Amino acid sequence: MVKRVSLVAAAAMMAALAIVASAVARPTTVAASSLSCTKGVQIGMLAPITGPAASIGGDQLHWAQFYATQWNKVKGHVKIKIVQGDTQLDPSKASTVAQSFASNKNIVGVIGPAGSDEVQATAPILRKAGLAFASGSATRVSLTNGSQKGFFFRDVPNDGVQGPTAANYMFEKLGVKSGSNVMVVDDQESYSTGLADIVGSNLSGKGVHVDRESISQKDTDFSSLVAKVTSATKVVYLPFQLASQAQLFAQQLKAQGKSAIAFGSDGTFDSSKFTVDGSYISFFAPDVTTIAADAKIVAAFQKQFPGATSPFGAPNYVLAQMYSSAITTACKDKKITRAELRKDFAKVSLKSTILGTPIRFTANGDLAGAKFHIFKITNGKYQTVQ
Amino acid sequence: MNWNLFVTELVSGITHGSVYALIALGYSMVYGILKLLNFAHGDIYMVGAYIGLGIISVFGGPLALTVNVVLLLFVMFLCSMLGGGLLGVMIERFAYRRLRNAPRIAPLITALGVSFFLENSAQLILGAQQQSYNSFSWTNSAIAFSHFTLPAGAVISYASVIVIVGAIVLMIALTLFVQRTQTGKAMRATSFDREAAAMMGIDVDRVIVVTFFIGSALAGAAGVFNCLAYQQVFPTMGFQAGLFAFTAAVVGGIGNLPGSVVGGLLIGLAEAFSIGYISSTFEQAIVFAILIVVMLVRPSGILGRAAVQKV
Amino acid sequence: MDGERDSNLPARPDEAQVPRVGVDEWVATHEGRLRRNRLVAELERVPRPAFYLAFGVAAALLPVITNDGYIIRVGFDTLLYMLLALGLNIVVGYAGLLDLGYVAFYGFGAYSYAMLASPKFGLHWDTLAILPVVVVASALLGFLVAIPSRRLVGDYLAIITLFFLQLFVTVYQNGNRISILGLTRGYDMTGGPNGIPGVDNWDLGGLKISSLNGYFYAALITFIVLLGIVYLIDQSRTGRAWKSLREDPLAAELMGMPVNRLKLIAFACGAAIAGLTGTLFAALNTAVFSADFDVPTLIIVYAMLILGGAGSLGGVILGALVVNVSLEFLRTPGHATWVFYVVVVATLIARIRPWRWLAVVLGGTVALGYIVHAIAASAWPRGTHGDVSVGGWLGSWLKGWELHPTNPMFIGNIAFVILVFAVLALTLLQGWQRRVAMIPTLYLASFAWENRLVIEPSITRLILIGVILIVLMNARPQGLLGTSRVEIV
Repeated sequence: MVKRVSLVAAAAMMAALAIVASAVARPTTVAASSLSCTKGVQIGMLAPITGPAASIGGDQLHWAQFYATQWNKVKGHVKIKIVQGDTQLDPSKASTVAQSFASNKNIVGVIGPAGSDEVQATAPILRKAGLAFASGSATRVSLTNGSQKGFFFRDVPNDGVQGPTAANYMFEKLGVKSGSNVMVVDDQESYSTGLADIVGSNLSGKGVHVDRESISQKDTDFSSLVAKVTSATKVVYLPFQLASQAQLFAQQLKAQGKSAIAFGSDGTFDSSKFTVDGSYISFFAPDVTTIAADAKIVAAFQKQFPGATSPFGAPNYVLAQMYSSAITTACKDKKITRAELRKDFAKVSLKSTILGTPIRFTANGDLAGAKFHIFKITNGKYQTVQ
Repeated sequence: MNWNLFVTELVSGITHGSVYALIALGYSMVYGILKLLNFAHGDIYMVGAYIGLGIISVFGGPLALTVNVVLLLFVMFLCSMLGGGLLGVMIERFAYRRLRNAPRIAPLITALGVSFFLENSAQLILGAQQQSYNSFSWTNSAIAFSHFTLPAGAVISYASVIVIVGAIVLMIALTLFVQRTQTGKAMRATSFDREAAAMMGIDVDRVIVVTFFIGSALAGAAGVFNCLAYQQVFPTMGFQAGLFAFTAAVVGGIGNLPGSVVGGLLIGLAEAFSIGYISSTFEQAIVFAILIVVMLVRPSGILGRAAVQKV
Repeated sequence: MDGERDSNLPARPDEAQVPRVGVDEWVATHEGRLRRNRLVAELERVPRPAFYLAFGVAAALLPVITNDGYIIRVGFDTLLYMLLALGLNIVVGYAGLLDLGYVAFYGFGAYSYAMLASPKFGLHWDTLAILPVVVVASALLGFLVAIPSRRLVGDYLAIITLFFLQLFVTVYQNGNRISILGLTRGYDMTGGPNGIPGVDNWDLGGLKISSLNGYFYAALITFIVLLGIVYLIDQSRTGRAWKSLREDPLAAELMGMPVNRLKLIAFACGAAIAGLTGTLFAALNTAVFSADFDVPTLIIVYAMLILGGAGSLGGVILGALVVNVSLEFLRTPGHATWVFYVVVVATLIARIRPWRWLAVVLGGTVALGYIVHAIAASAWPRGTHGDVSVGGWLGSWLKGWELHPTNPMFIGNIAFVILVFAVLALTLLQGWQRRVAMIPTLYLASFAWENRLVIEPSITRLILIGVILIVLMNARPQGLLGTSRVEIV
């Protein structure tokens, strides 16, 4: 009995080794074949559709889908289909989904991933597959240092633009002086810690006392932290991803009678959620929901996807727009390849977008001509002050 | 000594702790009777919070309320407790009942399944976006802004007062119910020994249903309390809350009702004071380190009694 | 070879008096009372390791059959989950300790590997040196966690290990600002929320693993080897001691077993396997982030283990396969739609007897669909102008049978809610009432699927996983491959 088992085992081992050897020796080929445009093309979408960041990801997906529906309505357009991939804001899950996009021959380009970590984790896979990937929310400075040139793009300015703008404004206009106090609060995600670091070091370089604190995205109460804000604290900087958290923080500041000014980042830019009077926000474009020319688009969006929307949505609408423009160029010969689309995508230049600014990319894939505006909230309305 | 900071942290800790305690009570009740860690409990809390939000929008939305605040609160609590309670009873009937005699870990996984189902169904139907009670801006009474002044210049908002007083009232009612009524006695007997209780003619099924109803109703109420003070409603809010409630229930001595209250308050206060005095970054780590020490000193929880093992 | 006596052998004369440890007499004789078919009996005769090897060979064929990187990646992920479930099986399945801090060891392994083999600290140790260090360190950490908790039982142990996990995650996530008691400047240990990027590949003494296929095989070989080791431990004195500890700690102690030491060993073994798995994870992803080592991962691993059957090695494999593969399969709406219809129809065919009732239910549903469609086509024009999710003949048939309103979000939500209640009500009905009620329910299910669920596949798949967990646990509380036990009070 034992002898038979060990014989079988030995044979199985040999067979397995032979298989392993043959499979490892075999090269894995990347799909480089060209695709016909007549049946329409597919764009992959990496976003945190479920999980703790679902409010961001769901919105990103819906805005991209919304653009695709609008685009497909027009006769003569190459049909675009958004294929969704849920990352749950988890880099390893994002890698698995990225791999599924890489293997899917019909996918010619990717929108996302949402987080900077996810971009780093998925970059090797997507690059190997020859896919362009364009994020509407990954803002870490180092992503566009040239290492992902030609593959990674983003239509939002990076933290290196926003941080100093915000810090300067506090220093020049909000009465922050050398020796005064500023509280900088991050939400323990990389977007937030990156910005908080930049603003913090900028201010302490000018002699400001920076009190660095953090909350978690899961937190629903900040009263204990608000209690630490003193009368000497001039500004509380809140670079959060969730506008509702900034809102609650600012409300609790008021409720406890603190005089410090709340100052949000582009993540909190949402005129339906962050509305506390006297707060400031930095953002790279005017407010989508307040631009008159956008009202029709926003209304149509609300019809297809009822409910609230967040500032992380619209940049993905623009990315879908850029992809469709690049696909039209690439599809002139009725065929498209991933490499072709990548080249055409890099060249897309939109004169006007729903973000209110023209959009094109720099050589490294960053947003060209990025500039930040500062808004003040008065009576729940966002007013441009710089 | 900065007394203002101290008193503010105290208020903040007690307010948050009261919410934890309410969720933990339901957790502990269900555990006491079924020895089941009901992971879906946090999601009942979430549903309760959404029911409250629904009531607000029925009455015109937070910015244009059409009814008196007292009436609004009354309707909110009534509906969320009823809704939460019924949901709990349904979960028990359809997901747990068949597993009563199964290995203990089977209903645990079923509870996880229920939690997945509720959380994601909520996202499907209601959307993933954070929504707000906005009790700071209620037109006829901004209960989160209006406040009493405490010593040392600290303030306590009406919302906090409602949470704390409401939690105390519910706890007293629960204690009276469990101690004084026939059903309460049956509950205690069942939790002490289910089989013996059944032999004494107690309708165990009914007792379990009542327990689920009351425990889940408390969770539903906790959802509304939480959002009165802290505004935000979203589908995944139950996960973290459920985790903390479980923690509170065990730290206090699981199955022991006053213990859950003590556990909830302990966690709330530990959070507030570690943010206020030590570090907001490592707040969670500090809280859990404190709890580990508590558990090592009192292995059966603060008010728990060491279980006597039967052979 | 205790647990797997051949049921065809003649019973020992003292069989009736000696039920197996922890097994109720009624349950113990249950197998004998079952009429088994020959195939099952023959299968039980095959030694278990043959199954494990067969699995290994079958899995090894995967990269040969397909060139698709995605499938291999999913295979790799599934193997990682199997490894994690294997370690957890020792702690939960054998020793019966509810360890909710398990994935902290996984994270510890991954972070240790990343710190020792990345530009973070400029260290690039040899993999062959790192692996033993990580395994031993994880085991030691397991020991450290277990020492204070050895006196705790049941849920108190669960909670303290959960605290430990939370503590760990907080430290990983904020480890870029670690200062000693707030006195020193913040040291960057773990990269904080940015994680540690640029982790080296595995390099086993010159054999550099860099391709996905390579990692797949590395994981597979690791898994098969560990499976063999765990199998041997299971058969050994220690394995039997763990099981008696699980069944009744008090009795085990009375029998002179070193209960505390057994618990510590179980914790350490589980932690070592998790730590090793972590190094594989870090190496393939070339980066580590704290998000991967939190409670959601723990839940998935637990679900796999319990679903497969705690204490069963085959259950580890099956549980991970069922959960992870269905999670991935449901990702694509096209697949999911097929799965949905095939599963519904297959369940009906399997469960409804006699056949004429099956015909009535299926025929009734189809007829109902056409009737509703015909009415709607004239009375509610919006109702048939929406999009169909799936292509091919199924899609075109659905288009003519099912209602597809434009902007279906609201009506789809309502249909979903009604569907949930309808299915629950169905479980309460009996006999012909249930079968008749099934007809509109089936139609409703198809309607809700087409108009709401399939539009949000990412959310739907998690809803379905929840449903699968509820249904399977209710159908087989002991897990798919677990042995049923009755707990003795």
